[in-house]
Amino acid sequence: MKWFEYVDKEYPGAISSRVRLVRNWDQYAFPSRLTQKESMEMVRRLEQGLRDLGSFDGKKYEYAFLDELSELDRKALRERRIFNSTIASLKMPAKVILSEEEDTSIVLNGTDHIRLQLLSPGLNLEALWKQADKLDDYINERFSYAFDKKYGYLTSFPTNMGTGMRASVVLHLPSLSLGKKFSGLVSEMGRFGASVKGVYGEGGDNYGALFQVSNQKTLGLTEKEIVDLVGRVAAQLLNQENQVRSMALQKHRLECEDEAFKAYGVLKYARRLSAKDAMLLLSQLMSGISDGILETREPCPVYRLMLGIQPANLQKLSDRPLGKEELDAARASYLRAELPELK
Amino acid sequence: MLCERCKIREANIQYTEVINGVKTEHNFCAQCAKELDFGPYSAIFDSDFPLGKLLSGLLGVGESQEHQKTHQVICPTCGTSYEEFIKNSRFGCGDCYGVFDILISDNIKQLQGSDTHKGKIPRYHFHKDPDRFSVGALSGEDGQDQAKGQQAEPKEQLRILEAKLKEAIAKEEYEMAASYRDQIRSLRKEQETT
Repeated sequence: MKWFEYVDKEYPGAISSRVRLVRNWDQYAFPSRLTQKESMEMVRRLEQGLRDLGSFDGKKYEYAFLDELSELDRKALRERRIFNSTIASLKMPAKVILSEEEDTSIVLNGTDHIRLQLLSPGLNLEALWKQADKLDDYINERFSYAFDKKYGYLTSFPTNMGTGMRASVVLHLPSLSLGKKFSGLVSEMGRFGASVKGVYGEGGDNYGALFQVSNQKTLGLTEKEIVDLVGRVAAQLLNQENQVRSMALQKHRLECEDEAFKAYGVLKYARRLSAKDAMLLLSQLMSGISDGILETREPCPVYRLMLGIQPANLQKLSDRPLGKEELDAARASYLRAELPELK
Repeated sequence: MLCERCKIREANIQYTEVINGVKTEHNFCAQCAKELDFGPYSAIFDSDFPLGKLLSGLLGVGESQEHQKTHQVICPTCGTSYEEFIKNSRFGCGDCYGVFDILISDNIKQLQGSDTHKGKIPRYHFHKDPDRFSVGALSGEDGQDQAKGQQAEPKEQLRILEAKLKEAIAKEEYEMAASYRDQIRSLRKEQETT
């Protein structure tokens, strides 16, 4: 099972938490300045040192060179947030170490030598930081880091220096994001040092009402302060969302019910679904389930479905590249198969 | 409103210029804006500009003079020049931080809101001394201790003025902002001549 497949761990509103640390080994220049040969040598040495990672935290790990992965696999890992867009298109030798549940990953020689990332369902930053801290020590025991008393952990990009840490939470804000005040609220959060941005969407559009909250700054704050800041902003947004939502449920119960059941109906029986439509319907389904309007026979992990309908995953499932029309059909058939029956 | 330069496309970029306290407003379309030179702000109109670039461009008072003087600085360890660093917003190695320290510390403060690490310290550090690349150690190596001592006070003044300038811009008090900017300029000039 992957971390996002556990339904019992799903919290209303808070989809997932993530802590990412970037580190560099002080024996090599940063990745952009390494030759092919040096990259290869460094990756090999780092990997050698981290071979017993599994015995440290009891997880099962896979080790793979990025160029051993197909382009589709890379894209799928990007959809599941193991890679960012830069890593997914890297040319130099780089390696990924990935736990079976995909909740822990280390990328070697990405934009920095070491990128450690932990993911979990729900609002869980504090626990993730504790885990990351321990894993960081484990790595540091073997490789000494590029570190400066004044600037902290030294990283390729000045936007990561200091703690090298990005803490983020993905929230489902379907009611709040509809309001006119939402963009004001988002920029307000910016003033506290937290950035809020849509997870899925094109241009100015947002599909699925998922928003990521993360720390803007990495220097001048302790890791604990970063965790607290992001957690506080996330809790604030969720609180506001719940207020708006409960008001809607009180005043417009029938509309809410209609929306949820219609969403279920279309998702369960449609023959073609675009990414945009499917995300909107899944978002409405998610609200319906968390409001207790809809009950399914088996637990329904909506976030897993949202990840499942992304293009690279659908293409992987059908084992071949798909055109747009085929993709829409594959998306609908995936949802028909995966969506549990109603009670 | 149509773009005042091409008069064909819709203007969607409003550019406000304050020169010696005189505020002028311009309206351009995205394409014309791209072709015009906004100094450090030009990067905004590139399709993939890194955030760091925008932020290091903010308050880029006197950037061009400084730039000409400093583009020769090269990190001896990895060969990254200051110019390359500014272009890509990317360090080449850990030693770059020490080499570019004095040049970048203001920008870093603008970008990060701080220039001092408060978080975790590595539990194991066995190859290099973490002090080695701090400002003090670096200028000590180059025998510039004295110069640094003399700069300390105007540097602090600059910092205060820059903070005031930022605040004035945020509050849209452009006349005040212009006056702070002029003060910063003259202080920088003073520093250069001493």
